[in-house]
Amino acid sequence: MSPEMLAYPFLFIAIFFESFVLVTFLSGPARFARGRPAADSADRAALPSVAVIVPCWNEALTVGATCESLLALDYPQDKLEIILVDDGSTDGTPAAMARFSLHPQVRIISKENGGKHTALNAGIAATNAELVGCLDADSFVEPNALREVIPCFDDPQVAATTSAMSVHAPHNFIQHMQNAEYVFGIALRHILASVNGLYVTPGPFSFYRRAVIADLGGFKHGNQTEDMEMALRLQRAGYKIENAPRARVYTTSPNTLQKLMRQRVRWTAGFFRNVLGEYRELIGNRRYGALGMLVLPLTFISIGSGILLFFLMLFQLVNNSLTALEIRAGIPFSYAFLPHISFDLFYFPSGFYLLLGVVALLASLSLIAIGKHISRTPGRIGFGLISYTFLYGLIAPLWLLRATADVALGKHRPWR
Amino acid sequence: MPLVVRNALIALGITLALAGTVAYAVNYLNRARIAELSTIEDQIAIDTLSLDTQFTLLEAAPCDSTASSTVLTGELAGLGERLVYTENQLGSDNAQVVRLKKQYSLLEIRDYLITKELATACGTKPVTVLYFYSNAGDCGDCDKAGYALSYLHDTYPALRVYSFDYNLDLGALKTLIAVKNVKHTLPAFVINGKNYYGFTSLADLEKQFPKGALATSTPAR
Repeated sequence: MSPEMLAYPFLFIAIFFESFVLVTFLSGPARFARGRPAADSADRAALPSVAVIVPCWNEALTVGATCESLLALDYPQDKLEIILVDDGSTDGTPAAMARFSLHPQVRIISKENGGKHTALNAGIAATNAELVGCLDADSFVEPNALREVIPCFDDPQVAATTSAMSVHAPHNFIQHMQNAEYVFGIALRHILASVNGLYVTPGPFSFYRRAVIADLGGFKHGNQTEDMEMALRLQRAGYKIENAPRARVYTTSPNTLQKLMRQRVRWTAGFFRNVLGEYRELIGNRRYGALGMLVLPLTFISIGSGILLFFLMLFQLVNNSLTALEIRAGIPFSYAFLPHISFDLFYFPSGFYLLLGVVALLASLSLIAIGKHISRTPGRIGFGLISYTFLYGLIAPLWLLRATADVALGKHRPWR
Repeated sequence: MPLVVRNALIALGITLALAGTVAYAVNYLNRARIAELSTIEDQIAIDTLSLDTQFTLLEAAPCDSTASSTVLTGELAGLGERLVYTENQLGSDNAQVVRLKKQYSLLEIRDYLITKELATACGTKPVTVLYFYSNAGDCGDCDKAGYALSYLHDTYPALRVYSFDYNLDLGALKTLIAVKNVKHTLPAFVINGKNYYGFTSLADLEKQFPKGALATSTPAR
């Protein structure tokens, strides 16, 4: 059996999932969600009171701009409060926050360092708002974002709503790659929310019914992924998690491979520990619909396939390179290692594995285009598509592998 | 039926259809390749026969037709590269590939004989290499030898290389192997009539060629 044969089932599953997502995109609930108008800020009586909590630990450089973007939200001032929580920062964060201390909409809380979940709980305890939101201190929102979020809570079963995240001012190849991935995530989140299949309410601009959060006991450490733990807890309790695809929020992304690795290892390990630990019952459980029967099992499969395909690719690359080197030994360099370019359709690569891979890639690129279109995310994404196409598949397995090893060996890494 | 189940079934149908379409496309492209190879082989067969007939009709060496012979040898080399690629794609035991290889080997033998006859009649000294390889796993150095010969052929276009699968079940090839007394020690080379076995390096292989044969200005005829 050729090594490629091992990859076929995973490619088939990948195409199946992408087909499912694209079909669901065209289904009624997703169409309804896209057509849902934003709340009218003039209709003050109908608007709920909202508190946005900004948990900060050493965010002196960005918290000011984050707070400014929240103050620019198109929402009645008397219904919106901003709670800046300093979680024991050791840099200039308190001073950066102090700039807003006299602002009538802003409240500042200082506490000893206890982790992000404690900062969120401190903010929740300090407000009586109907809805509480979270915005990481390195993220910035569009003025209309909150108005886009509010109608998602018209359904009383909805306990949380996520937004449309993309990367703030991507500069380098790695950030452009993440931007394409985030825009892909916009489409995915929008579509999976229509079948209640979300298992994360990301830090940048997710909202919750305060009463539900209080009922469920507030945020927990959640294996360093408190947003995922909360989403899973909401799902287990039978609530829905919605998505507002036009509620745009821009987040600062890691700008080096090392920082990206650290972030993604934390996310992936958190997924393993939460889902295989406290929320194991959700996997394959029909009671949890698309989340239990499709999304969670396929996420495990995608992690496994990412690792397997990486090793397959590595094996073939090493094997082919060694063979090529062996064959070319003793042949002049100018002939052996310089490309002999001649375009001939006869040699057009047409293997089953390759063409299936192209189908899967095209479906991914379609979802990125859909994500950009439905969220109306500004900026060009061409560079992101290139880096996503050629880089993501090479480096994502690295963090999947490290996270898997960490979980298997019981190793815990610091947040930063 | 719940929306999720309905969509999952539709997605499954789409996935099967896509996989089927890809399988059909791969099969279609491979058949198109085979058809193209067949067409090229037919054309070369006609050209070879034409040259052979022309040679016989004149009863004397039509030395001005050696140019046609050289062109034919070049076309054969191009066909050989395509055949190798197709064999890699479809496998050595594919019936179509085996048929094309037999036909190709016959054309090579015919071209080799014409080259020899022209050389005798016109007094030229072409450098010819009969190269015997195997894909049956009994020739560890065949890939290296094949690549080295490709390099030599590309570098010295006057060099005429004829490659044969030693294990191909073809009467004419078996006769050629018997006539040239080629042992089953692969890779095997017959360089201007002299047998040479094994491959260690390009330099060693080059030593087997007649002095001055490997020069870019080597006359082919």
